[in-house]
Amino acid sequence: MKKRSIGVIAVLAAAAALAIVASAMARPAATAAASAASCSNVQIGMSAPITGPAGSIGSDQLHWAQFFFAQWNKTHKPKIKLTQFDDQLDPAKAATGAQSFASNSAIVGVIGPAGSDQVQAAAPIYKKAGLAFASGSATRVSLTSGKWKGFFFRDVPNDGVQGPTDAAYMTSTLGVKSGDTVMVVDDQESYSTGLADIVGASLKAKGVTVDRESVSQKATDFSSLVAKVTSSVKVVFLPFQVASEAQLFAQQLKAQGKTAIVFGSDGTFDVSKFNPEGALISFFAPDVTTIKADAAIVKAFHKQFPGATSPFGAPNYVLAQMYASAVTKACADGKISRAEVRADVQKVALSSSLIGPIKLTAKGDVAGAKFHIFKVVNGKYVTIA
Amino acid sequence: MNWNLLVTELVAGITHGSVYALIALGYSMVYGILKLLNFAHGDVYMVGSFIGFGIVTVFGGAQSLTVSVWVLLFVMFFCAMLGGGLLGVMIERFAYRRLRNAPRIAPLITALGVSFFLENAAQLILGAQYQSYNSYGWHNGELWVKGFTLPAGVHVGIAQVIVVVGTIVLMIGLTLFVQRSQLGKAMRATSFDREAAAMMGIDVDRVIVATFFIGSALAGAAGVFNGLAYQQVWPYMGFVAGLYAFIAAVVGGIGSLPGAVLGGLLIGLAQSFSIGYISSTFSDAVVFAILIAVMLVRPSGLLGKAAVTKV
Repeated sequence: MKKRSIGVIAVLAAAAALAIVASAMARPAATAAASAASCSNVQIGMSAPITGPAGSIGSDQLHWAQFFFAQWNKTHKPKIKLTQFDDQLDPAKAATGAQSFASNSAIVGVIGPAGSDQVQAAAPIYKKAGLAFASGSATRVSLTSGKWKGFFFRDVPNDGVQGPTDAAYMTSTLGVKSGDTVMVVDDQESYSTGLADIVGASLKAKGVTVDRESVSQKATDFSSLVAKVTSSVKVVFLPFQVASEAQLFAQQLKAQGKTAIVFGSDGTFDVSKFNPEGALISFFAPDVTTIKADAAIVKAFHKQFPGATSPFGAPNYVLAQMYASAVTKACADGKISRAEVRADVQKVALSSSLIGPIKLTAKGDVAGAKFHIFKVVNGKYVTIA
Repeated sequence: MNWNLLVTELVAGITHGSVYALIALGYSMVYGILKLLNFAHGDVYMVGSFIGFGIVTVFGGAQSLTVSVWVLLFVMFFCAMLGGGLLGVMIERFAYRRLRNAPRIAPLITALGVSFFLENAAQLILGAQYQSYNSYGWHNGELWVKGFTLPAGVHVGIAQVIVVVGTIVLMIGLTLFVQRSQLGKAMRATSFDREAAAMMGIDVDRVIVATFFIGSALAGAAGVFNGLAYQQVWPYMGFVAGLYAFIAAVVGGIGSLPGAVLGGLLIGLAQSFSIGYISSTFSDAVVFAILIAVMLVRPSGLLGKAAVTKV
């Protein structure tokens, strides 16, 4: 009898524990996603690689978002708090950050993650939590192909714009013609292979011979590949994620006396790490430090965050601006919900912003966005197209 | 026939193979003595490479060196080999010594642990960023501008010559040491039968420490060679290089010093020729195919001897 009652108690206790755990697990996301909260504590999350190999990029992105909200909070209500998470450009960490933001009911929207792989890892969590999330640097085409429509958006053009832009620049400005060869080398990461494929296909469509190559992101010896750069190879396209790898490739190209033009992409956009004289880089945002209309904002930014900035930063200022606009609209009745912010932020249209006019398409891309071409001149990046 | 491509791939393969060979020597030496796969060896190579980078920084950085290239090279190699050697001794003393008589899986797991520890410690102390020797910038790139030209018009820079000649010198030195010195003979005796060597009065502990010191010093030198030729240094560089060197040691016959050298060169050449003549996408596949083929035909490696177990 005693044994039997102990067994029953144990089963009941286990069932109760299971029920408590299950309800605890289900509650935060469901509650946070569904209910409207007070506008007294509104937060925007930001997932960025603040430390690690891409730390300089992530810090710059964070600074621009912090700068916007610091300015905004001086003159607007409700005040918006930026809550940061360091994902170190790691998809697993980005997913952890998404869980953390999802369970914080004060967070009504998220800036980031920065990279396409990280967006992909975190997206299901944000969608489940009903959160809008926006990237100022994730450019993979498939991110806005419909799976996360209404949840994910970006204020920079995607790789589908970059590939044809780069190919067109090679043929129209660099004089690459039918019969010439362009070596396209990816670094075996999804960003790189995707962009390399698009550029390769665009060039082939123009009759250009494409030598499609692939190297590990950890490779340091490119001499075997450089040996294949014959006189018919006019351009070597390097859509690498690590800028110093592209620099190494360019150095080994020069060491072997090869004169092909080196053409990098947004992953190589780091003047301290990738600066071979005459090299070209395509990038998804303009250099706001060279735009006269942006001068006052850039000056104020530098006052708060002295030191260099890169074009990776400013798109995050604009995303913060879009969220601020959406939060203001949602808080008109004194309450705010994630669903409201999600709906409102997609409708925000800026006739002018730091990085140009912003109007989102139904998919969440910027209508009419274009890539910019930079050239290395005397160790500095100069906008040429 | 594109002779330029052929000769360039040959030079690239020998240069890279030399670095693999030096690392593989350390793997083989330790395995020969302790029958231990020291997976932390690749990370000793990483530490050696960082020591070299530190020396470049101390002397003003790549663009504004305050000493001649030759003085710099001497100090780099001295410090990297000494630092690598001492690190190897510390690893043996604190991680492996107590496990000498433990089941073989224990030191193997410990070796992996030491590897992760070194990688993470390097990331914590030195940061996760890629650093560059930028030897192209040393005194207007004299290590790359100067050199000689091979018949097919392939320029070989002094940096590449230093890597290949340096490796040959170190390998000859090691061979002479192992064959002719008293400690070298003690190493061979310990490798042959540790217990019998101890009974014959050989200080086995001293032999093992010396083995770790020499193998790790060679890894330190390989780290500097790598920085000199391929520039990049980062905390996880030891994993990939260590993996290839391990393959080189296995292909050549683990435990065999000439085998390690042969394996290193073979892997280096296979990599470069597969990139040049097949596709860069498949170069790793070619390397592993060679490993599988050698294992199928000669399970003990090209120059390895089949182990005989007496019962």
